[in-house]
Amino acid sequence: MNVKQEHMKYLKIENNKGFFLKDKANPTEWTEIDQLGKNELLKLLDYAIEDEFEMDTYDEVIIQHKAHQIIYKHLFEKFSTFLLNKNRFKDESELIYKEALEKYQ
Amino acid sequence: MKKIDFHIHTVKSISDKLFEFNIDSLKEYVDKLEIDCIAITNHNLFDKNQYLEICQNLHIKVFPGIEIDLEGGHLLLISENEDIEDFDSKCNRVKGLIQTKDDSITYEQLIEIFPLLSKYLLIPHYDKFPIIKEVTLKKLGNHIFVGEVTSLRKFKACIKDAEKLVPVIFSDSRFTDNMATYSTRQTFVNAVENTLRAIKGCLYDKAKVSLSKNEGNEFFQATDDGIILSTGLNVIIGERSTGKTYTLDKISNNFENVKYIKQFSLLQNDEENFKKLVTTRHSLVTETYLKEFKEVVLDVNQVDLKENEIALEKFLDSLKKYASESDKLDAYSKCKLYNETNFVIDDLDNIKKLIKATETLIENTEYKTIVDKHISNDSLKALIIDLIKKYNELSEANLKKHWLNEQINNIKDSLRFRSTTTAIEEVDFNKIQIEKLKAAKFKRLVKRLQHEKEIDSKEIRGFKVVARTKKYTGASQLKAKSKSQFAFSNAFENYNEPYKFLISLQNVGIEEVDFYKYFIDIEYKTLNKHGFKVSGGERSEFNLLHEINDALKHDLLLIDEPESSFDNIFLKNDVNVLIKEISMQIPVIVVTHNNTIGASIKPDYIAYTQKNINDGKIIYKVFFGHPTSKQLRNVNGETIENLNILFNCLEAGEEAYYERKTRAYEILKD
Repeated sequence: MNVKQEHMKYLKIENNKGFFLKDKANPTEWTEIDQLGKNELLKLLDYAIEDEFEMDTYDEVIIQHKAHQIIYKHLFEKFSTFLLNKNRFKDESELIYKEALEKYQ
Repeated sequence: MKKIDFHIHTVKSISDKLFEFNIDSLKEYVDKLEIDCIAITNHNLFDKNQYLEICQNLHIKVFPGIEIDLEGGHLLLISENEDIEDFDSKCNRVKGLIQTKDDSITYEQLIEIFPLLSKYLLIPHYDKFPIIKEVTLKKLGNHIFVGEVTSLRKFKACIKDAEKLVPVIFSDSRFTDNMATYSTRQTFVNAVENTLRAIKGCLYDKAKVSLSKNEGNEFFQATDDGIILSTGLNVIIGERSTGKTYTLDKISNNFENVKYIKQFSLLQNDEENFKKLVTTRHSLVTETYLKEFKEVVLDVNQVDLKENEIALEKFLDSLKKYASESDKLDAYSKCKLYNETNFVIDDLDNIKKLIKATETLIENTEYKTIVDKHISNDSLKALIIDLIKKYNELSEANLKKHWLNEQINNIKDSLRFRSTTTAIEEVDFNKIQIEKLKAAKFKRLVKRLQHEKEIDSKEIRGFKVVARTKKYTGASQLKAKSKSQFAFSNAFENYNEPYKFLISLQNVGIEEVDFYKYFIDIEYKTLNKHGFKVSGGERSEFNLLHEINDALKHDLLLIDEPESSFDNIFLKNDVNVLIKEISMQIPVIVVTHNNTIGASIKPDYIAYTQKNINDGKIIYKVFFGHPTSKQLRNVNGETIENLNILFNCLEAGEEAYYERKTRAYEILKD
């Protein structure tokens, strides 16, 4: 099943700092990366599956804030790996309990 | 006419259960059953000394023989009782080749040991486990003309079918001390002499073998004390406590694969018990229906969403803490590998499935023309080669990643051990998302499953058994399902939230493999021909029909007093017809007091049991004969008037019969 996905940026670098988008309904409201909590991270993971998840590439020259540098770098790497395997994730998720769901219509 | 039993065990071999041979039992057996000749056929061995001892002790002809494991089946090889030394040495060679109970010799080995097969009588297990395979029979060629079967039914089937071998039926007994009964499985052969040549000559001809001495294959010996019954429908009558059930029990012990419907076993007064019985009988329907769901439950049970949240939290906390310590990094934590993440190992399941599917497309011959029409064989071959190349590439990469991850982790551990800086915890985003999805799909699945509906319906002779799914409505139902004392009330509060409910089942104390049973119940309803729920009487009727229906999977059907559970109309209309039908296929023996069954069923043969007290000693007698015979006869040749029996046993005496006939029936008629 191919659903058209929205292009949206969720991690960005601006003013020497890293930011994340809390809620895609408010695409102009960016939060500093060190404020990222467990629930927001879970939400970002959902967005990564639902949408064409975009991020500014990590660049330690541009991000000068030391803490932001580290957090952004790790999250960027983690999300990059996750997105790289997105097709496989989709294939896999399509198949989850498929047989059972069809049987008990 | 010679009565023969050419399958007897007297020595425990590696293929047997433990038993100790007793010559007196064997002697009693041949005397009691009036057997004319036997063959000693132990598994893959011949005990010459014991054989000679048996010959000395028995006054009948005893043939030396051996039961050989041949290419996975069993073959009886019987010799004339001469040149015993030669036979003994040949059997010793077989013995040497069979070291374990799973060994067998090949046809070539058999021929090498017994080059002159025509000298012997060969009897393969034919309709008897373990059978000699068709391919081996072919190799044995003309030496095979007779085969051993296990039941009267199979014997008769072979007689009727021109393609089948001449059948023989033997006891396959082991003789130990204190044997309660002896097998009545022997074959009559129309031979004049007791020589192997004469007997072998008869075994070429189906007309020369039979189940009974004088009455062909329509009769058989039912017990070792000489009761002869029909291979069709028999009725045993007799007053109370004259040994009817005893006789039935004895017959049941004498034969294999017997369906025995005991007295009162069909009475179904209790609705709950009946429901349980029907549910158990149809457990396969439940199992098949819930099979996929069971697998899903076991899988979801491995999902721990809470644990995943904690892992995510730990990752974030450690990441932030590490970031805050960024200006205080020491020599170890400054290393790039200090917080390096592991390589993700590629899951190769999908590509494996693709290779398998392509393989199926290439190898399938049934639909080859359709496949060829759309994809050429060359394209498929090119595809599978590319897929395999890709698979190898990914496998190699995975191996490298595995190795690298190991190295990274070793280094990381060493660095972290020495450093005081916080280490960033590992977290697997993919796993977290997959498991979250599993829980969501599980919810959807359970909602579908809990939508109540009919899932199966079976017609059984006018009755209908309907299976419906049904949601549980209380904790007590879950407790009843578990047949335990576990408390389900806390768990049941979450019944409408599938994942939560599953987690709470973990704390109840039930086995993980049974969790799936608590999401949906499957209820069976038995309906009568009008579509209404069955009554008490109908429940018993349904039970009988079900049991009798099942009978054709067996070789003999025994029914003890079916009238103990039913009314006459049902017996006359349904049961009689059914029993008659079954008796065309397998021998049926019905014990009854009821005239509806006893007389109107028109049996092929009747037996009458009688208890006599002579000098204070109880003597049981069984008389048998055709229903139309004036007299019935017992094994000692004593006779009894048939009509009297029918009156006494079925009609409460002659007087009562005429009284009822003239007064009641005739009046009603007028």
